[in-house]
Amino acid sequence: MGKPKVASDWLCGCAGCHMSLLDIDERILQVVELVDLRATPITDLKEPDVDGVTVGILEGGINNTYNEEVAIRMRERCKILVALGDCAVFGGVPAMRNFCGAEAALQRAYVDAESNDSEGKIPSSPELAKMTRVRAVSEVVPVDLFIPGCPPDADTIFYALVELAQGRIPEIKDDKLHWH
Amino acid sequence: MINLTIDGKTIEVQEGTTVLEAAEAAGVYVPTLCHHPQLTPYGGCRLCMVEVEGARTLQPSCTMPASDGMVIHTGSKKVLDARKFVLTLIFSERNHFCMYCQVSNGDCELQNRAYDEGMTHWDLQPNWQPFEVDASHPFIILDNNRCILCRRCVRACGELVGNYTLGFEERGADSLLVADYNVPLGESTCISCGTCVQICPTGALIDRQSAYQGRETEVDHHVGVCTECSVGCQRDVLTRDNRLIRIEGEWDSDLTHGLLCDQGRFIPLEEDRSRLLTPLVRKDGNLKAATWDEALKAVADGLGKGKGLAALASTRLPAEDLALFKSIFSDRLDAEIVTTLEEGSATASLSSFAEKQGKSFESSLDALKETEAVLALELDLVDEHQVAGFFIKRQLLTGTKLIVADSNPNKFSEKAAVRLSLDQGSETEFLAQLLEAVKNGSDDPDQNAAVKALTEAEKPCVVYGEKFAQNADEKALETLVKLANALNASLIGVKGNANSMAAAQLGLESPLKANGYKSAFVMLGDEKPSQKLVKALEEVPFVVAQAAYGSQLTGNADVILPVTTWAEQSGTYLSLDGRLQKAIKALDAPEGILTSQEALRKVAEVLSVEPDMDWKAALFARVPTVEIKEA
Repeated sequence: MGKPKVASDWLCGCAGCHMSLLDIDERILQVVELVDLRATPITDLKEPDVDGVTVGILEGGINNTYNEEVAIRMRERCKILVALGDCAVFGGVPAMRNFCGAEAALQRAYVDAESNDSEGKIPSSPELAKMTRVRAVSEVVPVDLFIPGCPPDADTIFYALVELAQGRIPEIKDDKLHWH
Repeated sequence: MINLTIDGKTIEVQEGTTVLEAAEAAGVYVPTLCHHPQLTPYGGCRLCMVEVEGARTLQPSCTMPASDGMVIHTGSKKVLDARKFVLTLIFSERNHFCMYCQVSNGDCELQNRAYDEGMTHWDLQPNWQPFEVDASHPFIILDNNRCILCRRCVRACGELVGNYTLGFEERGADSLLVADYNVPLGESTCISCGTCVQICPTGALIDRQSAYQGRETEVDHHVGVCTECSVGCQRDVLTRDNRLIRIEGEWDSDLTHGLLCDQGRFIPLEEDRSRLLTPLVRKDGNLKAATWDEALKAVADGLGKGKGLAALASTRLPAEDLALFKSIFSDRLDAEIVTTLEEGSATASLSSFAEKQGKSFESSLDALKETEAVLALELDLVDEHQVAGFFIKRQLLTGTKLIVADSNPNKFSEKAAVRLSLDQGSETEFLAQLLEAVKNGSDDPDQNAAVKALTEAEKPCVVYGEKFAQNADEKALETLVKLANALNASLIGVKGNANSMAAAQLGLESPLKANGYKSAFVMLGDEKPSQKLVKALEEVPFVVAQAAYGSQLTGNADVILPVTTWAEQSGTYLSLDGRLQKAIKALDAPEGILTSQEALRKVAEVLSVEPDMDWKAALFARVPTVEIKEA
């Protein structure tokens, strides 16, 4: 039996959870000994293996049709799906726009913001993904493990990876449980 | 007695105990949210559900009375699942995302309960319905987005404070916490006591002054008595890095149980006067910065003693300071007048009466908490001594009758069921008439109604304010005591500042007369000196002011000794009903600033007098109006 494969991706987030993952510092060598680190946003390979990985990790909420695709693909290709960080768990900071709606948020950012000139307009290229309400990953695909935190502590991420690598579902509680 | 079993532990409790209280007594933890020990159980949040053997469904332990033979399980799977489900419903109802909230990471009861249950997420998303945030109040922000509808604030506002400002509008998911008939909180009948903020389990009601200034884990606590008025509420002063963060009421205190008023909670943080940071001495007409030695020498040179010397102290200062002050100026320097800034107006007649009688005649404020009728003589408990007012106000809807007798109406007298007119100077006649009515009835319908309420009450109270004490002579007080005896009533005299009663015990009660004093020593607390005092001292050629803040008075002084504020010194305070309590230092004073006690000792040294240091003996040397109890 080979090492379990781990892939990750980021959606509507800030990359902070992946930064926190890197904050495990030299312990990443222990992780690499235990797992086969495959596609991640911070390595060359960008998509999880077609023939599947053991653990898929998603950072960020789902805010448009492209995020949906990425989440569905990851779900299809992994056995255990992990929602990493507050955005993936419930929507996080981007979800604040749900209180006003995407339209109002775009208008504010591209047209009304004080720093814009008078020609500000909302981007409308057909190539752009369609915006949706910001959702937790679990609203789109089933999630097996939630690691909340903004970002989750490096120690928590290390603990979770080591447990997952050894075929156990980590228990996120007490000191490891922080919602931001 | 009742015997029941909770998680295998058998416990015996009094009849009327709730299952939650029984569990607590048995050492079994049951999580709660809407429940608060100071409030009537409500059963609103359903977090405290337990399994009762034989019962069809889970039961809320906070409202369920314990009964004999009950077998309770608090940790079964059914209970734990229900708990998580209840939390999921609460979280998903509104914006309960901790990352958007100030009250989190240990400060939020909702978040803490979810952490306790090991919740990594909740499955239901909210409908993202935003509610308007009400930031109209100077001290409080009301954010319905964070409200869990537990109604602790509403119950506290009514049950504890008797103000009934907060309430709920609409039903179910639309329920909205509102002030009065949905007016902005800042324009409502709110009296800014802040109890709602302190009791809110989430971030729905937050305190503007301390928002984002420090979490529970980052602040230091200093529990002691409030130094504002003579009610003597226990409070907790929260500081961080020698900065004042917030003041909270002390839930565990015996008398006030967490209550404070705006004066004790919010106003002290609004301090914006300029601080005196160095001694100042007047040279060639101008106040110039000086060293302590120079300033003390100026005091020694200019102060004099005996006739022509006036010494005044604030009744906001600790008893230790007042006793030392008295010893130096009265016993050693024999000053012409040694008194307080209040000049005994709220106490002099009362304490001389107690002394003549040779015994105390007043009762503890506790008497107010369970009384069926209150006779208030010249009393305003809305603007002053507010917490004592809360004790009365909160009982008015449950049948306690308030009878007010005063010469001028105020906000407190508006709450009266019966109003009697009391002309200043005719206190004796008024009380004698009432006494007569108690014995033989009266033709006056109002008087009759008052007497009826008072005589029907099992434990009536007669409470009188400063103006009554000022106008009442010995005869009036004699009649008052007779009336109280006839009614079996408790007497409570509402005195002035935090240590008015201590000043009274030390005999610092003489009125200040314009007498052509040659020099004066004024020991201020944190108060703004009154215009009357400023004027009285304008005529005095040499004035020493000991103060923390600059004012018109210090501007006119010849020597200024800079001292600590209330927050920077510890000391003892004697409440209006004789509770002797400690105020605790919460902040370090700026460099070069002495406490008023230290400054006084230096003054004594430079004047070569040796004061008596036994402040406690001095405090007990006189028959008090009410028995002194060390708390």
